[in-house]
Amino acid sequence: MTTFRKLLMTTYVAAGALASAFGIATNSASADEPKKFKIFLSLSYSGNAWQSEAANIVKALAQTPPYDKEVELKEVISGTDPQAQIAAYESMIDAKADGVISFPISSSALNRTVKKGCEKGVLFFMYDATVTEPCAYNVSYITAGFGENTAQALVNALNGKGKIFLSRGVPGNSVDKRHTDGAMHIFKEYPGIQVVAEYYSFWDDRTTQQETAKALAAHPDVDGIWAQAGEFGAIQALRDKGTRLVPMTGENSNGFRLALANPAAQKDGLKGVSAGSPPATAGYAFKLMMEILTKKRDLKAMNIQYPLPWVPADKVKLCKGDTFEDGCNTFPDGKVPSSFVTEVFSPEFLPELSLKSALDGAPTPGKTIQPLPAEVVKAPNEPGINCQKCEPPADLYKLTKVEPTVKP
Amino acid sequence: MSSARPSAALQPPADTRRIGRIRSETISTAAIFALTIILILASRFVSPALGSWDQVDTIITLASFLIVVAFGQGLVILAGGLDLSIASMITLGGVLATTWNGSLGSEWVVIPAVLILCACIGALNAVGVIWLNIPPFIMTMASGIIVASAALGYTSGTPRGAAPDAFLALMKGSVGRLSAVLIFVVIFVLLAWALQSATAFGRRLYAVGANREAARIAGVATWRPIMAAYAISALCAGFAGMMLVGYANGATLRMGDSYLLPSIASVVIGGSSILGGRGSFAGTVGGAILLTTLGTVISALGMDQGWRTVIEGAIIVGALLLLREDLIARLRNRSAG
Repeated sequence: MTTFRKLLMTTYVAAGALASAFGIATNSASADEPKKFKIFLSLSYSGNAWQSEAANIVKALAQTPPYDKEVELKEVISGTDPQAQIAAYESMIDAKADGVISFPISSSALNRTVKKGCEKGVLFFMYDATVTEPCAYNVSYITAGFGENTAQALVNALNGKGKIFLSRGVPGNSVDKRHTDGAMHIFKEYPGIQVVAEYYSFWDDRTTQQETAKALAAHPDVDGIWAQAGEFGAIQALRDKGTRLVPMTGENSNGFRLALANPAAQKDGLKGVSAGSPPATAGYAFKLMMEILTKKRDLKAMNIQYPLPWVPADKVKLCKGDTFEDGCNTFPDGKVPSSFVTEVFSPEFLPELSLKSALDGAPTPGKTIQPLPAEVVKAPNEPGINCQKCEPPADLYKLTKVEPTVKP
Repeated sequence: MSSARPSAALQPPADTRRIGRIRSETISTAAIFALTIILILASRFVSPALGSWDQVDTIITLASFLIVVAFGQGLVILAGGLDLSIASMITLGGVLATTWNGSLGSEWVVIPAVLILCACIGALNAVGVIWLNIPPFIMTMASGIIVASAALGYTSGTPRGAAPDAFLALMKGSVGRLSAVLIFVVIFVLLAWALQSATAFGRRLYAVGANREAARIAGVATWRPIMAAYAISALCAGFAGMMLVGYANGATLRMGDSYLLPSIASVVIGGSSILGGRGSFAGTVGGAILLTTLGTVISALGMDQGWRTVIEGAIIVGALLLLREDLIARLRNRSAG
């Protein structure tokens, strides 16, 4: 570790010396001000609520004191091609980045570039999605068992039998595969559960709505829906066909949580649980990186598990203000769009943020950065997701959030 | 505008093989609809619930966005161009309709304002194509990128607000037993078909697309129909964006992406020439409905996504080959001879 630090410092000093030798101003700070850390935020794409919120959280934190004096943050959006993100990483390394915080588009394609950056002393923090290069820090909920836990919750709600749809994510994506593998591990235990349609919804509300509408045309008698992000679209597709709703599990859209808690929707047949990918992970990863850069924390590159949000209907609680306070986890109708991903806050990890941070990337007035809990949770190995040649634990699909209430 | 002389002058080039052309065009259009109906009926084998009125209703609803967008795309293609900006224009229409709704005034101010803005951007595309001689492909791609980026910047990534009530009513409402969107599609198709096939504007567009120089010599102010085509295309895309927010009650920044290629495909499957100057809107409507039906039926097949997409692609190529006008014309000539 010390050598790593030393290497980092050496690179840093060398970079500074080089820059001054060539008369290049590496940042706008004058000589007597403390030097700012140069951090790049590398997004794959922008334009869906989840990605924007995650990026906004990082931007808001970077403007919250004392980070506003310590960080120079640049955002780069490189689209959905791994090549573009590789090129972006390359130029960040060339620009002498101290750290890169990124949503990686591929778990393997970026490895070589990440390794090259690590060797030059760049800290790589991946949030939500992961890379299998061991010198990067992966901060993600992926290993926390979204697929198997939601599948069991759906099986419980259906009493172990019924026709179901699988609304999946992006074809070929390792996250989608991990979720679906976990879910199928459970569904296969129950012969009464019949997957009658399986479609890719690209983690998008509108696509989910249209694909679910198509599946409903063929199977109007569906009994339940297991969905990844975009789940609110599935409810809308059911509503388009009439009043009947079915048990459903999905991710963290505000619209889905409001529907779960809505007595009228419950009466029409909706029950289920909201779990899945929290944009707050980006903020947690960024603060971890800053604590390492400012030497407040000593942590080697590792896979870190972010807790899986788990909100069944009876746990939905409306927020009165603009933050998660008093255990609330959902915003009232009209305050945010229905596709807004609610898990943007965490009283434990991100008490500095409010709704304006997630929506506009603005800091919350009067707030300062609070230290993170000392403990980090190590994620289990998952081949192809956070490590390459590694063995998964024997209890990979162990249920952590829900108990089976029906026997296979 | 001296419309009488130019349109009269236009008759000869359009007229030479008019009867033969119209007929094979009608046949290929009829063939597309026949293929669609066969597909719907055959889908009963995939799932007994398919082939019902309910499925037709779903198909028309899902196809309505594509029909509206493909009309505009069809006009631009007819004029010898190509509009790659429609994905962004759909997004712009949807995003502005939701964010401006309520904040900028009543929806009866917002909706026309958004449509006019879209039409102006479309007209700008035409300015680049006509006077700056930028290839349509590049011009519309560039304006599409600019518009998409502006929408991203304007919303800082999260479009807010709700859909205008008028579009909620259009997409969710019903008149008697018929859904409102079905009635809308019928009216839209009739009006659009009339505009393309039964007006002086339509005739000039065909002429300009078939041979711009000849049309100019014949006395057509060629920039007018071309500019109108681009403006209408952008306007249609903006309108489709508002329909989409009515359908899903909210906008996202990538909502138009899945309509660009299908809009071009609908036009081409519908028998129009990708080089311009030939085609009918009836064919395009058939193409749009065929593509949507195919998607619905394929999604009900219990196969891997990979294989489903392979089959979808194969059927599209097959349909294109089958419906080729020259093939139909040749077959007809042979049977006649």
